[in-house]
Amino acid sequence: MSVSNLLSQYGDRYIQALLTTWKLTAFSFAAAFALGVLITILRVCPIKPLRIAGDFYVQVFRNIPGAALLILLVYALPYLKIIFSYEVCVLIATTLIPSAFCSEHLMSGMNTIAPGQIEAARALGLTFFQMIRRIVIPQALRSTVLPMTNLLVATMLTTSLASQVPMRPMDLTGLVSYINTHATGGVTAFAISAALYCATALLIGFTGSLIDRKVRILR
Amino acid sequence: MKQTSIRDLLYETPGPAARKKIRVWTGVALAAIAALIALIVRQFAETGQLAERYWSFFAKATTWRFLGQGLLTTLEAALTGAAIAFALGFTLMRGKLRRNRILRGISTALIEFTRGVPTLLFIYFFFLVVPQMGWKLSAFWKITLPCAISACGVVAEALRAGVNAVPKGQTEAALSLGMTETRLFYRVVFPQAIRFVIPSLIAELVIVLKDTTFAYVVTCADLMQNAKVLISNYDAMLSVYLVVAVIYILINYLLNKLSDVLAVRLHSPAERSAAA
Amino acid sequence: MNMETPVIELRHVDKHFGLLHVLKDISLKVYRGEVVVILGPSGSGKSTLCRTVNRLETIDSGEILIDGEPMPAEGRKLASLRAKIGMVFQSFNLFAHMTILDNLTLAPVDVLRIGKKEARMEAMRLLERVGVADQARKVPAQLSGGQQQRAAIARALAMRPEAILFDEPTSALDPEMISEVLNVMTSLASDGMTMLIVTHEMNFARKVADRVIFMDDGMIVEESDPEAFFLHPQSERARDFLNAVHSH
Repeated sequence: MSVSNLLSQYGDRYIQALLTTWKLTAFSFAAAFALGVLITILRVCPIKPLRIAGDFYVQVFRNIPGAALLILLVYALPYLKIIFSYEVCVLIATTLIPSAFCSEHLMSGMNTIAPGQIEAARALGLTFFQMIRRIVIPQALRSTVLPMTNLLVATMLTTSLASQVPMRPMDLTGLVSYINTHATGGVTAFAISAALYCATALLIGFTGSLIDRKVRILR
Repeated sequence: MKQTSIRDLLYETPGPAARKKIRVWTGVALAAIAALIALIVRQFAETGQLAERYWSFFAKATTWRFLGQGLLTTLEAALTGAAIAFALGFTLMRGKLRRNRILRGISTALIEFTRGVPTLLFIYFFFLVVPQMGWKLSAFWKITLPCAISACGVVAEALRAGVNAVPKGQTEAALSLGMTETRLFYRVVFPQAIRFVIPSLIAELVIVLKDTTFAYVVTCADLMQNAKVLISNYDAMLSVYLVVAVIYILINYLLNKLSDVLAVRLHSPAERSAAA
Repeated sequence: MNMETPVIELRHVDKHFGLLHVLKDISLKVYRGEVVVILGPSGSGKSTLCRTVNRLETIDSGEILIDGEPMPAEGRKLASLRAKIGMVFQSFNLFAHMTILDNLTLAPVDVLRIGKKEARMEAMRLLERVGVADQARKVPAQLSGGQQQRAAIARALAMRPEAILFDEPTSALDPEMISEVLNVMTSLASDGMTMLIVTHEMNFARKVADRVIFMDDGMIVEESDPEAFFLHPQSERARDFLNAVHSH
């Protein structure tokens, strides 16, 4: 099928699929970031069991394959009488996995802070929370712009998991497999989806490096 | 050598009041975690998922032999995929570092393309389109090739970062000795670069391994696919999928640990001797 | 006998790092307006001593008093007592993500609750005084080591401290920048600032110190006025130390 043929027949669906992918990505990333911050707080708090729990969480979700997690959520959890809709299952999977990586990035962001600056903050009479707010968080955030940009792209790639469940509206990956099982979309159908994914990734990457150049800390 | 982490630097040596607070909250946290575990166990018990029939077959050797076969295919696919990704990534990296603008442009475009497209889309391409084009591939290659293609852009960028990390002075020194550029690259630059990037290559292997779980799409008999057979044999969905998930997590965890250890070891010989 | 309350007082302070006994029964008083310089070979515990004063290092036993008040172990009280004692580090430790000016105003605004405008004016005045006012809008990494250290001194001054601790302030500097920092310190001393200084700069110590403390192996070996110490050291160890330094 030619591009114009495909677009006239499936153009609206492509737009809808792109928006679905964007929506999934935005929601998952926002939730993953919030969760990642929370997990990171657990991991750096002085309470040992919470640190261990946070580390455990990160190891589990950074190492589990997305497909395995989604299958657990969709097919296995109902045996525990825990049933989520397909959409919720996808969102849980595309949130939990990036949240673990988000926490890892935040940890390494914090580790870029020179220990002397923490001592200097103390010596100036800043309380613990003042030090966290004024010294630790700003530096950690500013040095994680690029990793977070990459995480946003990775989250977008992860949302292709949505194609593995019968979800409506379909995402960009789901739509391609749909088109190809109903008609022979051939290479073109893939190329359109791939181009839309790529364009999104480039846009994210471009914006990220723009922000990074603005806020990067000279050392 | 124990690395000091920000975790420990954030806190001062606690005073008596802080110590007491920490003790109390440690107690509360332990209780909360215990309660959470109890809740999970209760849910398993109440839904009958702790029943012997869901777990007893894990004591059989045949179960593990079967899972082991699947795992072997998974590892084979992951390693083959990673090797191909390395070869492709290396080529793209060489292309991106060329002076020829066209070669550089093509390489950059391919790198960005493979980094921006989900593995699943490549898998569907090999599953749906490639056979239409009359190219007959076995299930193994239908999963391995897309995983490799999906990873090669990241590998290329990792290799490029490694090459860039090699001090420029050495290049100049070697060129002044009359080495050709190709020779210089393979004899001086690349052997050093590869040391820098071995940890990120292992991390990439983890990603390839995770991507191979989609093998069920192309019905390749990997760990996940064999798990499905077990499930239909024993009618035990939850227990089998849980065990399989744990296997994946453990393997990836160990690979990541290996990558961390190598990252510290290989970082640079100079730094190592300075730290010793 | 001096009846005045010392700004800094250590009473029988002991500290171990594991098996290492790094501070052995240290007692020390620093009075208002006094400049006390601690000398000693590396590993003698002088830096550790300096860092215990504002509890950057904890002690195993003994007492530390600031203005006659015992140093609290934690919390807001510790923070507000620390605010009274400035500290200048070997590695400057300016906050990397802030401009020099913001480095100076952060604690006055957040800790002392001084108005932003007033804090800025005061900061500029101090930067002027240490000679880096033209760098106020830059971030630390854009400054030379000497400039950074002078800015760090200004940051300590911005808290209007009762005393300033200097932990080897010139050890991380290139030789040509040492004097610019020492000059600032000398002018502070002549303005009557109370200072406890750990340093390896013998000429500076001799010129500026009201009192010299010589430490070795975790103990205070000698305590005397600078002329007496440099001309007639009492102990064998101090003589060895001075010989080693002068033979450089």
